[in-house]
Amino acid sequence: MAETGLNRAKEICQDRAVSARELKAGGRKIIGYLDIFPVLEMMTALDLVPYRLLGDINEPITRADTCLPTVVCPFLRSVMDLGLKGKYDFLDGVVMAHGCEVSEKTAHIWRIYLDPPYAHFLDTPHTTHPSARQQFKALLKYFKETLEVFTGKELSTEKLREAIRIHNRQRALVRELYHLRKPDPPLVSGVETVQVLIALASLPVAEGNELLRQVIGEVKQRKNGPPGKPARLMVWGSIIDNTALIDLMESIGANVVMDDTSLGSRAYFPPVEPTDDPLDGLAHRYLVALNSPRTFRETILNKINKKDYLTDLENRFGYLKDYAREWSVNGVILQVLRYCDIHGYEVPGLSDYLDHIGLPGIYLEHDYGKAALAQLRTRVQAFLEIIG
Amino acid sequence: MAEEKKKRVINRLKTMYPLRALVDGTYEKAIAASREGKPVAWCMVNWWGGDAILRAMDVAAIYPEDYGAVCAAFGAAPAYLASADADGFPTHMCGYARNCLGYAAQMKESGDIPPEAPMGGMPRPTLLLGSGYFCDTRYKWFQSLGRYLDAPVWVLEMPHPGVKESRLKGAREHDISFLVAELEGFISFLERLLGRKVDRDRLTEIIDDTIEMNRVWHEVNELRRAKPCPMHSRDFWSSMPAALYMAADPRVTAGLYREMYDEVKSMADSHLGAIPEEKYRLAFAELPPWHSLGFFNQLAERGWNFVVESWAYHPPKPIDLTRVTNPLERIASLTYQYFTGYFEDAFATGDWWGYFAHPYLELAREYRCDGIMLHPLLTCRTATNHLMVVQDQLMKKLKVPSLIIEGDIVDLNLFDPADALRKAETFEETMSHYRKVRQAAGLAW
Ligand code: SF4
Ligand code: SF4
Repeated sequence: MAETGLNRAKEICQDRAVSARELKAGGRKIIGYLDIFPVLEMMTALDLVPYRLLGDINEPITRADTCLPTVVCPFLRSVMDLGLKGKYDFLDGVVMAHGCEVSEKTAHIWRIYLDPPYAHFLDTPHTTHPSARQQFKALLKYFKETLEVFTGKELSTEKLREAIRIHNRQRALVRELYHLRKPDPPLVSGVETVQVLIALASLPVAEGNELLRQVIGEVKQRKNGPPGKPARLMVWGSIIDNTALIDLMESIGANVVMDDTSLGSRAYFPPVEPTDDPLDGLAHRYLVALNSPRTFRETILNKINKKDYLTDLENRFGYLKDYAREWSVNGVILQVLRYCDIHGYEVPGLSDYLDHIGLPGIYLEHDYGKAALAQLRTRVQAFLEIIG
Repeated sequence: MAEEKKKRVINRLKTMYPLRALVDGTYEKAIAASREGKPVAWCMVNWWGGDAILRAMDVAAIYPEDYGAVCAAFGAAPAYLASADADGFPTHMCGYARNCLGYAAQMKESGDIPPEAPMGGMPRPTLLLGSGYFCDTRYKWFQSLGRYLDAPVWVLEMPHPGVKESRLKGAREHDISFLVAELEGFISFLERLLGRKVDRDRLTEIIDDTIEMNRVWHEVNELRRAKPCPMHSRDFWSSMPAALYMAADPRVTAGLYREMYDEVKSMADSHLGAIPEEKYRLAFAELPPWHSLGFFNQLAERGWNFVVESWAYHPPKPIDLTRVTNPLERIASLTYQYFTGYFEDAFATGDWWGYFAHPYLELAREYRCDGIMLHPLLTCRTATNHLMVVQDQLMKKLKVPSLIIEGDIVDLNLFDPADALRKAETFEETMSHYRKVRQAAGLAW
C-alpha cells in the first residue's frame, strides 16, 4: 500500500524526482523555480506544476565548477550541479527571480548551459517603495504573458483567484502544522517538519494540501511524538533543504520548534490578501509581506532625522520576537551558508537584537557539507548547555 | 613606489594625475563641508542619477567603495577588517564593506575620524545612499552600518535588464519610468531630510554635463583599440573613479577627460604604446588587487599590455538623448544604457545574457586581445560569479584563453604575487598558441 502522511513525506524526501517523473509521465508540465519570489499561483493557474529547485547535500559538487565559482553559495552550486548532471531533466522550464545577486546570475547561467524550453527571469525590486510595488506588478504581467505563450492558454482572473485560494489553503495548513510544534514537547519534530516541507516543494499544490491534511491528522493522534528536551530552538538564516543540520540539533538535546528560513515559515506564512485585481494582492504578498532580509525595509527616522538603531532592529526583526514568544523558544541558531551575503550582513544586527530581547543566540557558518556539519556539533552542544 | 618610478615600465599618462586628484580631493572637501555643518553623503556607485541630485543639493558625496581601495593601497585596511571581524561580520563578505564597517566601528568608538585614516578620512555622514543594482552588498552594507551610525539609508532602486525579458514589449519604458520614479523618490527624501528644495535648473545642467562627461570618457577608451595600445589599465583604474563616482563638477571632469583624449590620441597617432614593447594584449576582469598594482609592472616588463577592462567600470556607450526632454529621464536613460549597452549584440548572437559575460566577447574582439586575466575575488560574488562563463565562452567562441589569478580587492593576504607571476609566465605560451589557433579559424587577430 502506498505510504501516507509522515511516511509519505519521508519517502518523497528520499527521492524527490520520483513523484516529478510520475507527474510528467501523466502528461503534466513541470516548472522548476528557485527561492520564494517566483509567483507560484500563476503557474498553478495554468495547470503547471511548480517544483522547487533544491540542492543535494549528499551529492559532491563536480560539474558546477565549470560555470559557478567556489565563492558562490554552495546551495546554488549544488542546484546547478544537479542540473548539469541531468537530475532535473524532467523539467519543462524554469522560473528564477532576483532573490539575491547570485540566484539572479544562476538564472542566466542555467539558461546558457541547460537551455530549457521555457525560462523566465522575474526581476524583483529590493525595496517596498511605491514605485517598486508598481514595477513589480508590471513585471508580473510580463511573467503572465510568457506563461500564456508557453502554455497556449489564457491566464484568466478567475483561474488566478482559484489558484490563490488553493495556495492560501496550503499556507494555512502549514501554519496549522507549525502550531503543532508549540506544545512542550512538540507534537512534530523539526526533522519531520523539514521532510514535509521538502515534500511540499515537490508536489502540485492540491496533492501537497492532501499530504498536509494527512500529516496533521496523524500527528494529532499519535502517541509517540518527539520527546521533550530542555532546549527549544528557532533556526534562522539561509535555506535549509535537508534534514542534516536539524537532525544534529535534535540528536543532542534540542527540540527545533520554529524556523525563519526560506523553505519553512518564510515561504508560507503570509497569505495573499484579496484584491480587485489579483495581481495587486500577489505583488503585495511577494514583495512586501514576505519577510526576507533581501528586501530592504525603510529605515525609521525620528524627529531629528536620525535613525534609531533599536527601532530599526525592531522594524526588521520584531516578528522573530513574536515567533519566540508563541513557540516558547529559548535559543536561536543563526546559521548562514558560507558566501551568503544576504544573511551574512544580518548577523551582528540580529545578534544585537536577540541580546536586547534577552534571547540567547549562536552564529554558525557552514558550507553545505556533512563533514562540516559534524564540526558544528561541539559548538551546538556547548550552546545547548548554556541555555539548557 | 620609488623603484616603480625609476623603472617607468608603464608609461603613465600625464593627464591621469589631475583626474585621480579630483577623487582624492573629495575626502578633504567632505571634511571641510562637514566642519561647516553642511550635509555629507556616503554613497554606493549609483550610475549618476543619485550623484547628480546630491550635487544639485550641495551635498558632499564620498564613496566608501573608493575609500576601500584607498585603504587597501595605503595599507590601512587590515586594521579595519580586523574590527569588522571582531564585531561578527562574516569574513567571506565584501572587503570594501568590511573595511568600511571596521572604519565606522572605530569612528563610533573614538567619536571622530580614526586618527590613522588615509586621505584625512571620511567624515560622519548625514545620510547613506545605497543602490539596487549589481550586488546585495550595495544595500545590506549600508543597512548594517546602522550599528555604528545614526544616518538614515536611502536605497535607490534599479532594474536588472539586459536579458531576454527586457525585449518584451514596453519593458524598456517600464524600467525607465521606474528609474525616474525612484529618482523623484530620492529627491523627496532629500528635501524632507535637508528641509530645502532642489534647484531643478542646476540639476538639469549637472545632468547634461554628466552625459557629456561620460561621452568624452568613452571616446578616450575607444582610442585604446590602437596597436600598440597607448593607455594601460593602470591609467584607466586611476582615471575611472572621477566619472564613476562623480568626484567633481562633471563639466570640470569632462574638461580633464578631453585633455586625456588629446594625449592618448597623439600617442596613438605616433604609434606609441603604454609599455615599451607590446607583445601581448590583455583584458582584465574585474576589480584589480589595489594593494599590489606593482604586479602589473612586472608583467609590463614581459611585454604584457592591458588594453581593456571590465565593461562594468566603463562609461555607457553613447546614445542619442536629444529627444528626451525630462532631465531625470535623460539621466535614467543613460543609466539604462549602461545596463544594456551590450544587449543587442548579445541577442543577435543568440545569447540571452546581455551583460556580465557577453561584453567580454565584444571587448576581446574589438581590442584584439590575446588573453584575459580573470581575478576572482574571494569576497565579491558580483565580480566573480560569471567568470567561469566568461572563460568558457571566450574560448568556445573566440579562442581567447583566460588566466585565473585569485585574490581580493582589499585583503592583501588573499593574493600571492609570486605564484601569480609563475602562472603568468606559463600563460605566455598559451597565448602564443591560441594566436595560431585563431588565425587558423579565420579570426581577425
Ligand atoms: S543561501 Fe543566500 S546566497 Fe544562497 S541562494 Fe539563498 S540567499 Fe542567495
Ligand atoms: S560589487 Fe563587490 S566589491 Fe563592489 S560593493 Fe559589491 S560586493 Fe563589494
